[in-house]
Order: sequence, then structure tokens, then C-alpha cells
Amino acid sequence: MRKNIINKITGLTLILALAVVGLAGCGSTDKAAEQGSGEATSAESSSQGFRTLDEIKKSGTINIGVFSDKSPFGYVDENGEYAGYDVYLAERLGKDLGVEINYVSTEAANRIEYLQTGKVDIILANFTVTEERAQEVDFALPYMNVALGVVSPKDEVVKSLDDIGEDDQVIVISGTTAETYLTKNYPDIKLQKYDAYAEAKSAFENGNGVAWANDNTEVIAFAIENEGYEVGIPSLGDQDTIAPAVTKGNETLLNWINDELKTLGKEQFFHADYEKTLLDTYGADYEETLVVEQQ
Amino acid sequence: MDKETLVSYIPLYRDALLLTLKIGWQGILFSFVIGLIGAAITHFKVKVLKTIVGIYIELFRNTPLLVQLFFIYFALPKVGVKITAEACGVLGLGLLGGAYMIETFRSGLESIPIIQTESSYSLGMSKLQTFWYIILPQAVSISVPGLLANVIFLLKETSVFSTISLMDLMFTAKDLIGMYAKTIECLFLLVVFYLIMLLPVSIIGALIERRLRYAGFGD
Repeated sequence: MRKNIINKITGLTLILALAVVGLAGCGSTDKAAEQGSGEATSAESSSQGFRTLDEIKKSGTINIGVFSDKSPFGYVDENGEYAGYDVYLAERLGKDLGVEINYVSTEAANRIEYLQTGKVDIILANFTVTEERAQEVDFALPYMNVALGVVSPKDEVVKSLDDIGEDDQVIVISGTTAETYLTKNYPDIKLQKYDAYAEAKSAFENGNGVAWANDNTEVIAFAIENEGYEVGIPSLGDQDTIAPAVTKGNETLLNWINDELKTLGKEQFFHADYEKTLLDTYGADYEETLVVEQQ
Repeated sequence: MDKETLVSYIPLYRDALLLTLKIGWQGILFSFVIGLIGAAITHFKVKVLKTIVGIYIELFRNTPLLVQLFFIYFALPKVGVKITAEACGVLGLGLLGGAYMIETFRSGLESIPIIQTESSYSLGMSKLQTFWYIILPQAVSISVPGLLANVIFLLKETSVFSTISLMDLMFTAKDLIGMYAKTIECLFLLVVFYLIMLLPVSIIGALIERRLRYAGFGD
């Protein structure tokens, strides 16, 4: 009987070892593939993990990753249709490309993954441009300004991050710039992380954290829409921009988007977008601060 | 794969593993208690309670853990019941596991031939004595493989804890991917750490299974 057990343990160890070796193997093949695709030209597009402009046009549909729970930027409205500032741009891109749009709902943390695995052609999910992200995906020209902000309940407004006590928790959403910023600059603040906007909102409303740190556009909207909250810190960290992103190396699509954004700038498209989608939430005061037009 | 990245992530994964285990074992213990009590109630066909246990089993076996956690964590505070994320994890795991444990214990109890109960009664043993000394030891022995499967199932279910902000293994991996985009390294560590957690359970489980296989004859 004991022999059996020893056999079993050896067997399991072997399986584990094999699994480790196998996975390590996967890793190196992936790297090899990456290098390969870097050298290859557009002739072998299928191995690149993304679709070129021509391939998208040919297929007749473009896959665009948007938020489905981040009102008023990307959300599903009462009719079940995607709507918001980002979606308004997506609609226009689809129209000008002459293709159908297939919206793919993303969460903050998987935006890079979706591009890298070719599940979407463009990410238009309020994607803030950062150095780290720019190493993984290619950003087009920006279409919006953003900074970080912190919202908290009115009866105990957090005016400075130094006010946050040792045991207090700050709510952030996994994969956002707020998370990265706080992790880097305020490592002592305890973060309560959620993987979707809807859950972070519910948790904040339930009083699970003393404050919620996120893009300031988002926290301002939250304070306007929900009574009893105040944005104690309206601007935190650097002023950043939001831009469409494509898979690293997808130059044809990137160039097309950049040209398109310049054309749209001439007709003041994003001012129209703001007035259509954001005016109700923010009022006219934020229009010039938020909107970016390419000249 | 980048070795430095792997090494620098290990402490985070270790913390996640410890959290997963901490919530896991408490939840599993809780589910064992529910399982034993529930199975005893069904076995003795206690009026009213039997129906409640039946409803409980159907409710928790036919809804996903994710939904249960959502309910406990997000809906209950709206009516004034507020519990921490960790307690919510333990409660969710315990309640889900309890439903499965009851069924596993029950199948063990039902597999003991009625003739043993009758023989015990004819020897003058009480109902409780019969259950405790004759039926239960055999039933537990027979249930062991099923119970082990439940334990592993419950430990794996912890991967949905991310919705209630618990930094379990799955969420740690997702979070790191979101922040630093080192996908291969993160997912590799994820698989390794799940194996580190679950392989010993399988191995120790196999040992316990052998040790407790006294119920059958001639084995």
C-alpha cells in the first residue's frame, strides 16, 4: 500500500514538472513568434495577431472594445444600445470606414489583453495614455483630457491623500491609472480593488471605503449624479490624455485613425460629441477642459 | 519569460495564496458543519427542518457562487446587514459548500444497508447510538472521496472572489496584468500557485482516503 502512495506522489511530481516545462516552452515560443512577426511584413498578416485596415474593410465588420458600465463615456442605454462619448466616436469611425461595428464590452484590466490577442481592432474605452501602456499597445492621437480625482462622502470629505488613516481603504478599479498612481506614489494607502465599475460603485455606495479614486471625469460625474458625495480632490497627479489604441504594430489602422481624428478636428467633432453625450452630466463648464480637437 | 519579473511577483502571489487558504479552510470547515447537521436532519427525517434543508440545498446548488457573493456583499448592506469582504467569502463558500456536503454525507448514509440499523435496534441500541457508533463511521468512510472532491471544488471556486475585492490568486494575476501587462509571467505563476495549493490537498486526500477505507469488507 505504501508503495502505491509513493508511486502516486512521484507520478504527481512528474506531472507538475511536465506542466512547468510545458508552460515555459509556451513562453519561449510566444517570444519567438513575437520576434517573427516583428520582422515579417504585412504579407503574413494572420500571424501578427491583428487585422490591417484592408482586412477590416474586406471583412465588413470592425471589433471595437468599449466600456458597457461607464456612463457617460461608454455604457448600454435603456434600449440596450451602446452609447456615450467614446461610442459616439466609434460610430463615426465605423461609418467613415464603411463597415459594421461589433462592440466588445471590456473591463479596465483587460483592455491591453483584448488588443494583444486580436479580440478587438480598436480600444475606445476611455483609455488613458501612459508610458507603460504605450510599450504594449499603440496609441493614436488623443481626443480627451483627463486627470485623477478622489470622491468621498460629504460628511467626511477627503481633501488630501495625507488625510487617509492607516486602516482606511480607498476604492480603486483594477487596471486603471488611479490604481497604478496610488500604488506607485502612496504605497501605504490600503486599496480595495474591484474589477468592474459597477461593483466599485456599489461598494462605494455601501460605504466600504472612505474614498474612491478614479479618472476625475468619472468621480465628478458620480458626485453630480449621486447626492451626498463631494469631489474633495478634483485633480491629482499629471494631466493625461485619452486616445484610441490599436494592437502594437498595426500601422495601417493607426495611421487611418490619426488622419480621421485630424479631419474630425476640423469640423469640431468632439465639441459636438461633448454636447451630445456629456453636457447633461457635466454642464458647459468642463467642455474646454475635457475636449481635445486635432488641428 | 522574464525571471526577474517572476521573482518580484512571488510575494504578491504568496499573500494571495495565504488569503485564499485562510478563507478556504474556514469556509470548508463551516460547510462541513452544515453538511453534518443537514445530513443528520435529512437522515432522521425531522419534520419542517427537513423541508428547510431541502429548500436550502436546491437554492445554493442551483445558483452560482458569484451570484451568492454578490447578494451577500452588495445587496445585504442595503438592508443594513454589513459584513467584511473576508467574512462574506467565508459565508458564501460555507453556504455553497454546505449544500454539496449535505448531499455527499446523505449519499454515504443512504449507502448503509437498513439491516444494520435494524440489527442495532434489535441489540437494544438507541437511535442516537446507532447513528453515532454504527452508521456515521461507515457513512463518513464511504463519503471521503466525495468530500475531497468538494474540498478541491470549493478551493477552486475562490477564483470568483475578485468581485468582492478579495485579492485571491486569480484577482492578483488579473490585477498585475492590468497594471504591468506581463501576461505570460502572471498566468504562469497563477497555474503554479494553484498547483501548489491543490496538489498537496489531492495527495493528503489520497492518504486519508486509504486510511479511512475501513467500511467495506475484504479491501
